[in-house]
Amino acid sequence: MATTETKQPQSQQGDHPWRLQFTCNGEAREIDIDPHHTLLEVLREDLGLTGTKGACHEGECGSCTVLVDGVPMNACLILAPQMEGREVVTIEGLASGDVLDPVQEAFVKEGAVQCGFCTPGLVLSAKALIAKHARPSLQEVREGLEGNICRCTGYMKVLGAVMAAAQNRENV
Amino acid sequence: MFYRPATLAEALELKSRLGQDGVFLSGGTDLVVGVAKGRLEVGHWIDLSRLAELVYVAPEGDGLCIGASCTHAMLEASPYRGLAQAARLVGGPQIRNRGTVAGNLGTASPAGDVGVSLLAFDAEVELLSLRGGRRVPLREFFLSPGKTVMAPDELIVAVRLPRAEASGFLKVGKRLSVAISVVCCGVAKLADGRFGIALGSVAPTPLRAARAEAHLAEHGLNPASIAAAADLVSEEVRPIDDHRASADYRRAVSGVIARRLLTEIAGLPDSL
Repeated sequence: MATTETKQPQSQQGDHPWRLQFTCNGEAREIDIDPHHTLLEVLREDLGLTGTKGACHEGECGSCTVLVDGVPMNACLILAPQMEGREVVTIEGLASGDVLDPVQEAFVKEGAVQCGFCTPGLVLSAKALIAKHARPSLQEVREGLEGNICRCTGYMKVLGAVMAAAQNRENV
Repeated sequence: MFYRPATLAEALELKSRLGQDGVFLSGGTDLVVGVAKGRLEVGHWIDLSRLAELVYVAPEGDGLCIGASCTHAMLEASPYRGLAQAARLVGGPQIRNRGTVAGNLGTASPAGDVGVSLLAFDAEVELLSLRGGRRVPLREFFLSPGKTVMAPDELIVAVRLPRAEASGFLKVGKRLSVAISVVCCGVAKLADGRFGIALGSVAPTPLRAARAEAHLAEHGLNPASIAAAADLVSEEVRPIDDHRASADYRRAVSGVIARRLLTEIAGLPDSL
């Protein structure tokens, strides 16, 4: 064909196995999944990306937070086929090699981690927040993290880490 | 089966064929939880996330038309202040980036913040099926918890709001975010002179305080009419005792937040 036509989106239907194509942590993936599985199940069980945690499975705790096209969402509430063509970033996608992302670095430096279960979700919510507000106020940080629950260390050090990360980003 | 139709016509065709067995899926913030918790069984999902034509906010006439798949995050920026405030109070950021306006209405929760806000604006829901379309006033849309007037083959495609001069929304919950409303209230002063006062979590469906509205339409907004309307709101609500709050508490709080909102849209200083 001489000219490129605008590709009409094809309807999809099917059952297990369902072929899912999406980008995960910068890498194009094409995998066979059960279409009734959530993104959380696919990340953890099909892709072995167990950094994304599952706790409440009802969108209350934020431990499964991932970025979809840069925006934080609960992976437990997304059915995996809905991620067709989308770009998902999990906690595994932040560091490059041994070099931590500035937000991760700040969490370590400020001691904002205790058991660590909520940490991946908090870090990703913080990433999205800093992308949205280059210089967030403490109130904006609180609001940006309101969908993430920590049940052990509390929030003071987390807030400090996110404020520090935002500050450092500004200095770069 | 999982279906991802590429067109609206195809989605409607699937729903018409599958009936109750086919469930429209958008943000999934309610439905996917239902499945995970064993409250809901879904034979066939009809995923609407490819239908970009359902994602828009557009002025229409004097008012506003909101596409069904607009997320709460999109509504947070709405010039309709009460609607923006309600959307901002739904869940946390992750939920607001996912949950949609049509989902909030279709779920028909008595506590749905956005539904309550839209009810105060006397919004209208546009339903579509292969048989054709119809518009239903939101005040006739909710039947009981989880039940609406929608036929098994219908889809919510849009919500329309008339022009409003002022509006507001307040919610009382157990905490500031990711909380189900103990009581919520939306008020609107519509451009045609009517007032809308809607409340959530005080009846089996979002409720309009019709007597309070009529009182304001007759007497306008002033300290005395606002006090009387707030008392009427407390009389009109039909709350129950549950694990979140007592009926008495809800009744009292309903009047208080209605008064605060009306005072605010009247531009009067709040006495409390």
